[in-house]
Parts: sequence; C-alpha cells; structure tokens
Amino acid sequence: MKKKLLLDLKLLKSLLFLVLSAAMVLSCDDIAPEREETPELITKVVLTFTPMAGGPAVIGTANDPDGDGLQNMTPDAAINLNSNTSYSLEISLLNGLADPSSAAYDVSAEVKEEADEHLFFFGWSGGLFQNPQGDGNIEDRDDNVDYSDTDANGLPLGLVTAWTTGPAENGTFRIVLKHQPNLKSLMSGSDIGESDLDVEFNITID
Amino acid sequence: MSDFHFSPEARPFATEYNSVTELKSAFFSQPGADPITNFMQFFSLMLLMHASFLCIHGVAQPLCSGTYSGIVVDEHGQPIVGAAIVLFPTQQGQTSDAMGQFNFTGLCRKLYTVKVQFLGYKEESFELRVNTVDARIVLQELVTQLDEVVIRHHDAAHTESATNFTEMDEKQLAEAAGKSLGEAMREMSGVSTLQTGPGIFKPVIHGVHSQRILILNNGIRQEGQQWGAEHAPEIDPSVAANVVVIKDASAIKYGGDALGGTVIVNPAELPVAPGINGSINSIFQTNGRSATLSGMVEGGLARHEGWGWRLQSSAKRAGDFNTAAYNLTNTGIRELNFSAAVGYHKVKAGFDLYFSRFGTEIGILKGTAVGNLDDLVAAMERPEPLYTSSFSYAISEPRQQVSHNLIKLNGHLTTSRGEWRVQYGFQNNNRQEFDKRIGQLSKLPAMDLRLNTHTIDAEWENLHHGEATFTFGINTILQDNENVPGTQRIPFIPNYLNVSAGVFGVTKIQLDSWTLDAGLRYDYRHYDVKGYDFKNELYSSSFNFANLSGTIGATWNISTTQMLRFNGSSAWRPPHVAELYSLGTHQSAASIEYGLLLNDATNEVMDLDDVNFNPEQAFKFVTTYSFNRLPWALEVSPYANFILNYTYLRPTGLTRNSRGVYPYLRNTQTDALFIGADVTANWQATRSIRASATASLLHASDVKANDYLVFIPSNRYNFTLRYEKPAVGGLRNLYAESKLYFVTRQSRAPRVVTVSKLREAQRAGVNPFEEDDSNFDFMEAPAGYILLDFAVGFSLRADKVQYDFRLASENLTNELYREYTNRFRYYADDRGRNITVSIRCIF
Repeated sequence: MKKKLLLDLKLLKSLLFLVLSAAMVLSCDDIAPEREETPELITKVVLTFTPMAGGPAVIGTANDPDGDGLQNMTPDAAINLNSNTSYSLEISLLNGLADPSSAAYDVSAEVKEEADEHLFFFGWSGGLFQNPQGDGNIEDRDDNVDYSDTDANGLPLGLVTAWTTGPAENGTFRIVLKHQPNLKSLMSGSDIGESDLDVEFNITID
Repeated sequence: MSDFHFSPEARPFATEYNSVTELKSAFFSQPGADPITNFMQFFSLMLLMHASFLCIHGVAQPLCSGTYSGIVVDEHGQPIVGAAIVLFPTQQGQTSDAMGQFNFTGLCRKLYTVKVQFLGYKEESFELRVNTVDARIVLQELVTQLDEVVIRHHDAAHTESATNFTEMDEKQLAEAAGKSLGEAMREMSGVSTLQTGPGIFKPVIHGVHSQRILILNNGIRQEGQQWGAEHAPEIDPSVAANVVVIKDASAIKYGGDALGGTVIVNPAELPVAPGINGSINSIFQTNGRSATLSGMVEGGLARHEGWGWRLQSSAKRAGDFNTAAYNLTNTGIRELNFSAAVGYHKVKAGFDLYFSRFGTEIGILKGTAVGNLDDLVAAMERPEPLYTSSFSYAISEPRQQVSHNLIKLNGHLTTSRGEWRVQYGFQNNNRQEFDKRIGQLSKLPAMDLRLNTHTIDAEWENLHHGEATFTFGINTILQDNENVPGTQRIPFIPNYLNVSAGVFGVTKIQLDSWTLDAGLRYDYRHYDVKGYDFKNELYSSSFNFANLSGTIGATWNISTTQMLRFNGSSAWRPPHVAELYSLGTHQSAASIEYGLLLNDATNEVMDLDDVNFNPEQAFKFVTTYSFNRLPWALEVSPYANFILNYTYLRPTGLTRNSRGVYPYLRNTQTDALFIGADVTANWQATRSIRASATASLLHASDVKANDYLVFIPSNRYNFTLRYEKPAVGGLRNLYAESKLYFVTRQSRAPRVVTVSKLREAQRAGVNPFEEDDSNFDFMEAPAGYILLDFAVGFSLRADKVQYDFRLASENLTNELYREYTNRFRYYADDRGRNITVSIRCIF
C-alpha cells in the first residue's frame, strides 16, 4: 500500500513538472502591449493673444508633462498684456506624449470637430478687462464673454474669443472646457457636463 | 470582438411576436458580430422556442387516469433533489423537485417497474401499484466522498461536518431567478454585496471581497478581472443547482488565497437515466421593465446507461432602473448566456465535457461620469443625477461589455489504489469599458482586456474503508492578460503572464462524535509584467511569490440536536498586478488610482525589491454552534479574520491635470481586523408556518492606524414569515412569504472630508492630508433603512408537466434609500419598488 502511494505521488510530481515546463516555454512569448496613442491627453495648453490692431502676439503656456501622473498642470509664466488693448485669444490644446506629426497631437482640432458638445468657460479676477466686464461666466453662464466662434447650432464654442484689457492690473485667468453631450444649450453652465480642461493662468497688464 | 449586440430600439416586453424572425430581431441584431456569436444566438433562441413548444405539447390530455406520487429521500430522511424516477416499460421519467417530490399522472392499470437513480446513491428498482399516493423511496448512499462533496450538490450534507458554510438551494435560487449571482447571494447570512449602481453586484463575505474571495464555477476557479470594484462575477446563476458559501478559509484544495471564503456554484448533476427533461422560466420585472428567459433541456441515452447531456441558455434584457422618485438613466442590462454539457458517469469512472458562455452589456448611471472635483461636487449636490430622463432600453457610455467563455473537461477513475480526479479548464474573459470621451473616442473602449487562463488540477484520494481519508493534489494556472490594442489610452493595468502552481494535502478523520480535518498547501506564483508608465514609456518586471497555507478544523456532535464546529486557517494571497501597477482614472471613480509600485514622489515604476511590500496573510477563525430540535433551529457563528498587510486604496492627496483637480488614491498596506457573527434562528410554528430571523454583524477596523475602513457592510437583520403547504386543492407547493430587511446605518465609517473642503484646500494650495492622513469618505454614511418584500407562489401539475407561478414585490413600500456599500450612493438613491412575475414550466 505504501509503495503504491509513493507511486501515485511520483505521478503527481511528474505531472506538475510537465505543466511547469509547458508554462515556461509559453512564458518566453513577448507579452509587451502595443504603445497606444493618447489623443485625449492634454499636456500643454497654449494661449495666443493677438492684438487686433496688429503687432506681435503674446503667448502663454501651461504644462503637465506627466499627464495622469502626480505633477500638477502649472502655467510657465505670467502672461503680459498691454493695457487698454483689444486682443483675439486662440486656445490650442496639445498632447506632448504624441508625435507632433500625428493626428493625436492637436486635441483642439477634436474639440472643434465636436463643437456642438463643447463649451469653454472663462473666469478672471475682476478688473482685468474693460470688455467683457465682470468676472466671467464660470460662476454664472449669463455673464459676459465675447465668443468669436460658434458651433453648428449657433451656440458659442470659445476656441477663439475677444478681449479688451483695462488699466494696469495683476490677476488670474481661468479656463474651463466642458464636455456637454446633448446638454449644451443657451443655458448650460459650467456645472453641467464633464470637465475636459480646467487650468488657471496669471495675467499681468501694464 | 466577440460580444453580442441587441437592437437599440426599445420594445415593451408585453408585445406579442408573430414569428421567430420578429422575436429574434426584437432581442438581437448583429452588426459586425462574428458567425459563432450569430450561431450561438440563434441556437439559444431555438432552444428556448423548442422548449416552449415541448411545454405546450406536454399538456395534451392523458389517456388513462392512474397516479403515482411520492417523495425521494436519503437515509437521513432528507429530500433528494433531482433524482431520476423512470417507469418501465413506458419509459416515462421525472426528476424529483426541490422538495424531493414527484407525481406521475395518466398512468394505466398495468404492471410498471420503477427505477430510481441518483448519482452517488444505490439504484432502486421495484414494482409499482398504480394509484399509490405518498410513496416514500429511500436511496442508500454509495461510497462517501468526504472532501469532494462541496462541488457535488447532493453531497452537501457532508460539508456540514467539515466547514462553516451556508447554502442556497435549488428552491431559493428559483425564487431569486432574474437576479445576478451577486444580488441573489445577498439572501445568505454573512454575505452582502459591493454594489455599483442598480446592476453590478460583487459578493462580499464577512466584509471582504474581490481577490480575497475564491469563486468556483462548476469546479473551475473563476478567473476574471475581479480586482475592480465594479467588476461583477461573470457567472449566470441560472446554471446553478445550488450555491455554497464556505465562510472560512478551509477550502484550501481550491487555492490558498480565499482569505474571506469560497463561493461554489454547482450545476446539477447530468442525468444518467434515459428520457428528456427540461424547464423554461420566464421572469418579468417592473423596475427596469426587464424580461428574462431561460431554458434547459437534458437527458440520458436509452440503452447507453451512464451517458447524459444538457443544453441551457438564458437571455435578459432590462432598461433603466428607477428609484422611488426618479429614473436611473443608462442603467440597462443585456445578457445572453449559453451552456452545454455532456458526460458519462459510472461509479468507477466518468467524465464531463462542459462549455459555457456568459455575455453581458451593462449601462452605468450617466450622471456619475465626472471630470474633476468641481464635477464631483456638482454631482453630489444634485437632488437627482444629471442626464436623468425618461425610461429607455438604450445603453450608451459609460458602459461595460463583458464576456466569459469556459471549456472544461474532467474525469474521475477509481482504481484499487484510490480515486483519481483530473480536470482541465480554459477560460477566456473579455472586458471592455467605454467612457464618455472626446470626439469619436467614445466609440473606442477606454479599457479593453483579454484574460486567458488555463488550469489543470489533479488529485488523488484514498479509498476510505477506515476512519481517515487523504487527498493529495496539484493545481496549476497559466494565465495571460493582454491589453487589446486600440484604446488610445495608456493601459490602466499592464500586460502580464501568471504561472502558478500549488500542491496540497487534505485529511479527514472520523471518530465517534468527532470529525477532525486538516490541510496544508504550498503555492508558488510567477509574474512577468510589461506595461506603460504615465510618460507612455515601457517598463517590465518579473517576480515570484511563494508561501504555505494551512487549515485545521473539528466538528463535535455534542448530541443529536447540538453540534459545534470550529475552523482555524491561515491563508495567503499574492498581490494582483492591478494592486501593484494600476495607473489612471477608473470608470466613474472620480479619482486617480496608483499602484503600490509607483513612487510616492515621482510616480515612476519601482522594482518590487525596492519597496517594503509583503503579500497579504490572513488568520481566520470561525466557530459555529447549531441547535436543532423541532420546532426550533438555531445557528450562531462568530468569526474573526485578521489580515496582515491588507491592501486597499487609501486617499492620499490631490493632483491637478489638464481636466482639473482629482483626489488620488494609492494602494497601501495596513493590518485589518474583521470581527463579526452570523446568527440564524428558525421557528416552525405550525406544520405550514415558519418564522425565521437572521443577523449579519460585523466590526472592521484598520488596526495599525486605529481607524475604520470604508465600504464595510453595516449590521443587517432580516425577518421572514413563510406559509407553505404542499397541496391545497389543485394547487401544489403553495407559499406566501413576507420578508423584512432592516439595515442599520454604518456607525463605524471613517471621517468625512467633503469635496468642497478638498477644493478649498486645493485653492489655498495646501495638501488636505498633510496633517491627518487617516481614512476618509466624501459623504456621511447614509441612514439605515427598512425594506419589505412579499411573495406568493404555487405550482400546477399536468401530465409530465409542472408549472410554477410566482408573484413577488421587492421594496413594496417604495422606499427612497441609499445603501452604504453601493458605490453610487454619492450620486443617486437605490432601487424603488419592483414587482416580479415569473412562470416556470418543468417537463
């Protein structure tokens, strides 16, 4: 009986060995996943303030090189604008993890394509601009922002906006992009939908 | 892609369908589905159609009017469910029902021979006199299989002496038809759920869940993406004849990692007697306006004794669920499941071949899709979720699409040296999660995982003529997790290869009034991991884990009415890759999750050797005292589970990315203690009235930090009053049941740090967890609640056919409530009143 038991255990052992060696052979396969493009990741925000009367554009950037990593998205430097000047602001959203030649690089193009589901909201400390007045439409959608572009339904989008600075002042300038699929309307405020972008810059007017 | 599609148009289930084509198109449409899926859909449909034809056919007028009815019981007088009773020479066959009963009608006055069979029992054969009522057929047990028992439902009696367990039998499962596995299991004492909205239920045993619970589906270790809190087990409960929950870690032959317990889902034995049987069940529910159809046919082969087969399928379609006050938009469910089995069984040898497919698509409450802290504040403050609209069957993003395929081949052989059991299983699990994303990206899954698992198990058991049984065996796993390319997102978990092997020995010694059992197990696991970090750069690693698990238990039959059971076990669990490497946001989690191996400061992926990490090790002790003397039955089962290096997601800080500010959670280790008790009391007031009460009590704490843990089920009680009569006039199995659930508020919840507070801290530029990094929750634990359920049912019998009718209501009083362990309690209330109508036909 004892001998037979040993025999059975031996059988078990050889079966185990067989399975393990099969596993080892299989494990030599390359298991690396393919590298994914990350088209919705925004690692860089570029604000281009172009004076309407002509002259060199003022550029402000914010960076978050690690995307979903621990580092915060931070503006690189304060944006210096001239006082009492009208600017056209264009927002560009870029994906630093993608190749600049790939379609995934320019996220703002995606936003434009889906204009009827997106809306930019702006908020700033009071007094930065003489036009629009107030502190922006993040708190209250009805407050003034001068949108220069619209979607297919005639509702504002905000990739391009118009601003006229006031006298010398320092303040913050916050931009929120909301994804509002089937929710976007004349009334839909910044508390509606999902945030695709929420970034704050510092503006110096002199 | 191997998932099925249903047509998007909503259709009330009450509509009559004129043709097969119309019914088919109402349930399925297959844009881009592969031919196998198409075939399977069609096959399942045919099965259901065919079965319903049989049912209608079966009610034809009998020619003679003799009857023969009775009950099949084992030596202990316990009813045997599913025994085959065949009359010769006419070969009329029936299987005993959930009460062990059978009833032949339309018999002619001539000589019949009755054969009664059930696997594991000695066959009985005798002559029948027509018009016998209440015949009592006693089957003698064959060789007892003491350890194997749990996965063979007729042997469930044996598990009683081995472990602390609770069971849901065929009858209880039938009454829970239409529910998912996790939801159905909530009825069991000591079992609760971790819920994600109205449709996703994960079983929780004694406060622990996910990787700490081992689920055994038809004898195979279920290998899905169980690490996720919103990933429900991929099992169709309609395949099950019973569900057993072993609440201690004693089931070490299935794996050493069942820290919380083991869930065993057993299908019925395959028939061994000739003749075709089956059932069709249709369930309609008002909440979600759902229809569930399930059908099963099985049979044995005439002149080929021992052979049996079964085909089974179920399909479900539900739209938006609703609370007492509003609709839960985008919470629909579509499900299509299928299984086929064939087997040959004799006492000395046998085999089974089994295939099953589970496929589901689940909508996730739309209002839970939040981008950042501000969105979260807004979502929590709203009286009803954003996007709430009128009822619809449509499912859109966010949603999950999951399928699970299983092929299993197992065999057993009894030689003079003992019994051998060998099985091979292959599981293919596909999980796709779709989120609301920019542009066309919504059409791409944000997570797309394919998990293939091969398992080989072999064991040997001695022939037990004496008092002791020994079982030795090995379990091997080869598993490959792959991120299917094309998600356009950095994978949340890496690709990995897992090679595991375990060897075990289990023994059981039976003495006069004592039964002792002990087991020892050694496990080895090897991981090869390759993934991308937050910079989208490749990393790779490989490492091993190995450890011992052990269990020791005793059962003391104090007297004929009292029993004491004890089990102490040490279980061990290697980490899941998700706990080590996860990175990013997760469906509707409104937070970023970081694995244990990501550096605190830089988030770079570190080597396992450079981290202070130890696998989880649990010490669980369960004692059960039971007292059983009519009219009373009482069971008290206190337990303690001490888990060293308990790994959980701990809120750690705030991070700001382009979408705004997120709280982030980091997989962290601590020591946790779960202490509790399950209590069940039954009082058989009269022959037909029974009152019962159960209590599930639990205290969980983070021992290291002297803190509470989040999402631990609060204490809950339920009270049942049931009236049941085997026959009233022409009605059979008449019952009426009323159930009251009382769930207390979780008073042992961690502190509350509101999202508004987090936002303020972030604006002020401070880390809100700098000074106090104890566990927290965004919201207070919701108030306790009381729910009332009511159900009535009865059966009608015609020749060869039985119809079961059931009318039930859950949350009868339409309470508006929130459950602490529902992850969506931040956003919405739980389900309102539901009325279920079900009709089952057994032939």
